[in-house]
Amino acid sequence: MADVSLRALIADDEPLARALVREYLASHPDIRVIAEAGTGLEAARCIQDAAPDLVFLDVQMPRLTGLEVLQMTGLRQGVIFTTAYDQHALDAFDLHAVDYLLKPFSQERFDAALERARRLLRSDLPGIERLLGAEPLKRVLVRDGAQMRVLPLEEVHYIQAQADQVAFHHDGRDYLKPERISDLEAQLDPRQFVRVHRSFIVNIAEIQSVERTESEAYALRLRSGKRIPVSRSGYERLRGVL
Amino acid sequence: MHPLLTHLRGLAAYLLGWWLVGMAAAAVLVPAVHSTWGWTLAFCLPVASLTALAALAPYYVCRSRPLKPARWISALLLRAAAAIVLAVLVAGAAALWNATGLAFGRAGLVALPPSAWLGLVAALALVFILSALAHDAALAQQELQEAAELQARARLHAREMELQALRSQVDPHFLFNSLNSISALTHLDPAAARAMTIDLAQFFRQSLATNGLDRIRLDEEVQLVERYVAIEQRRLGDKLSLAVQADAACRAALVPPLVLQPLVENAVKHGVRLLDEGGRIEVEARRAGTRLELRVSNPVESDAPRDSTGLGQGLRLLQERLDVHCSEPAFVEVERAARQFTVRISLPWQT
Repeated sequence: MADVSLRALIADDEPLARALVREYLASHPDIRVIAEAGTGLEAARCIQDAAPDLVFLDVQMPRLTGLEVLQMTGLRQGVIFTTAYDQHALDAFDLHAVDYLLKPFSQERFDAALERARRLLRSDLPGIERLLGAEPLKRVLVRDGAQMRVLPLEEVHYIQAQADQVAFHHDGRDYLKPERISDLEAQLDPRQFVRVHRSFIVNIAEIQSVERTESEAYALRLRSGKRIPVSRSGYERLRGVL
Repeated sequence: MHPLLTHLRGLAAYLLGWWLVGMAAAAVLVPAVHSTWGWTLAFCLPVASLTALAALAPYYVCRSRPLKPARWISALLLRAAAAIVLAVLVAGAAALWNATGLAFGRAGLVALPPSAWLGLVAALALVFILSALAHDAALAQQELQEAAELQARARLHAREMELQALRSQVDPHFLFNSLNSISALTHLDPAAARAMTIDLAQFFRQSLATNGLDRIRLDEEVQLVERYVAIEQRRLGDKLSLAVQADAACRAALVPPLVLQPLVENAVKHGVRLLDEGGRIEVEARRAGTRLELRVSNPVESDAPRDSTGLGQGLRLLQERLDVHCSEPAFVEVERAARQFTVRISLPWQT
């Protein structure tokens, strides 16, 4: 085992909590800490840029919670959750049988969680998909030049598929994220977003009117004036929601 | 004692009413018995006064035997019997008084035929029955009012207990995170671990001590805030600082317990903790005439969500607690500037 070095990220907003994980990791020489993150945003950036094998992830972090970090980065493997107390989160974890470390935890409990994570390495955590799918996505992490940025989805007007990426239209600009539009659609709140076309998802709150085109097809007019094509099945979905 | 007897103006008005009745009776009697106004009034006014006092007597019967659905017949009979006895007594007294006319060489103050005396007894009995019923109505009304007041007081008390329970709840997140920090420090810096254990113990001991108290000195509340911030400082490092401005007079003022600490806790959780560069929480107390004005302000992220419903609920709870605690109105106000969040509290000055 020692010849396989694992790269780890410690994400927690408290320096002392990160120091504790480092201390417990001292007896596991095969694990190398490549980064520490003090906010959810930093953690997400590190996960996307450095793809660590193991992430010690605090559930309650400022900016982005631990669960949002996973929702946004798509990470499903090698995660060890830590949490002090958050009844809502704990209920969800228990419901989906996702393992977590309750602060303060002992070296033994830490080692057991690590052992379990090693066994599951490179395969998705059991229950994680259901845990993350239980709540619709509220914010997304997008690229803004060299930076990462968190967009509140309620402020996104529409989402367009572009080759192997999706573009979030927000405040007159497009923000790209490498993701398939159908994967994204499954994570969105169906009461807020409708897939009206193979390449388009719209925010219902932004719709101004539904128009009929000459060729017996439909199109949407958004508040911003933008026109969005509507497919036949998209029209049915739209009617179901409106 | 009858409540009217302790209420001088009411009693005077009541007697005056009865004298009017006495004068009306005299007006009827003067032509009927061919007497003069002087003699007739000399008979009627004292009798009216006596009747007035006697008409208060059914109050005691009504209070000792209220009209209850189960025993209303016996209660009613008792009232009737009391009314007849009273009527006979008053009429007897009137006859005696009338007899003082003998001293002046007259047959009486007024010469009444026997049938008139019977009529007087009947009229008096009717008056006393009506008086009893009026007393019953008044007592029932009073009972209703008392029950409503009692219920309102009970509701207020229950609400107060509820609020007290809510605020005495230790934030478990804070407790477990602090314990985790101590666990980390035991290896890194044992002396700091010990100091933090003591901070934590003092914080909890003091918040337990205020539990159940109605009022504490602002000074004690500030101490609680300082202990809380000391613990958070160990966890967050130099990111967090606290500045308290309060003169000695303000520190001696009385406030409901936990009026500041939850606000400072919010300022850490939703303000300073989220800022990379950290920030300073300011607490200020000053006197403005008959009021004490408190202010807690902290820097916030410029793009922080503005709704934070959890915070709104905390402030509502605070307003409700102040309403229960303070006799005069108290206000909680929130001000959100671009990078600064401020809560202002104004409450009656108390020492």
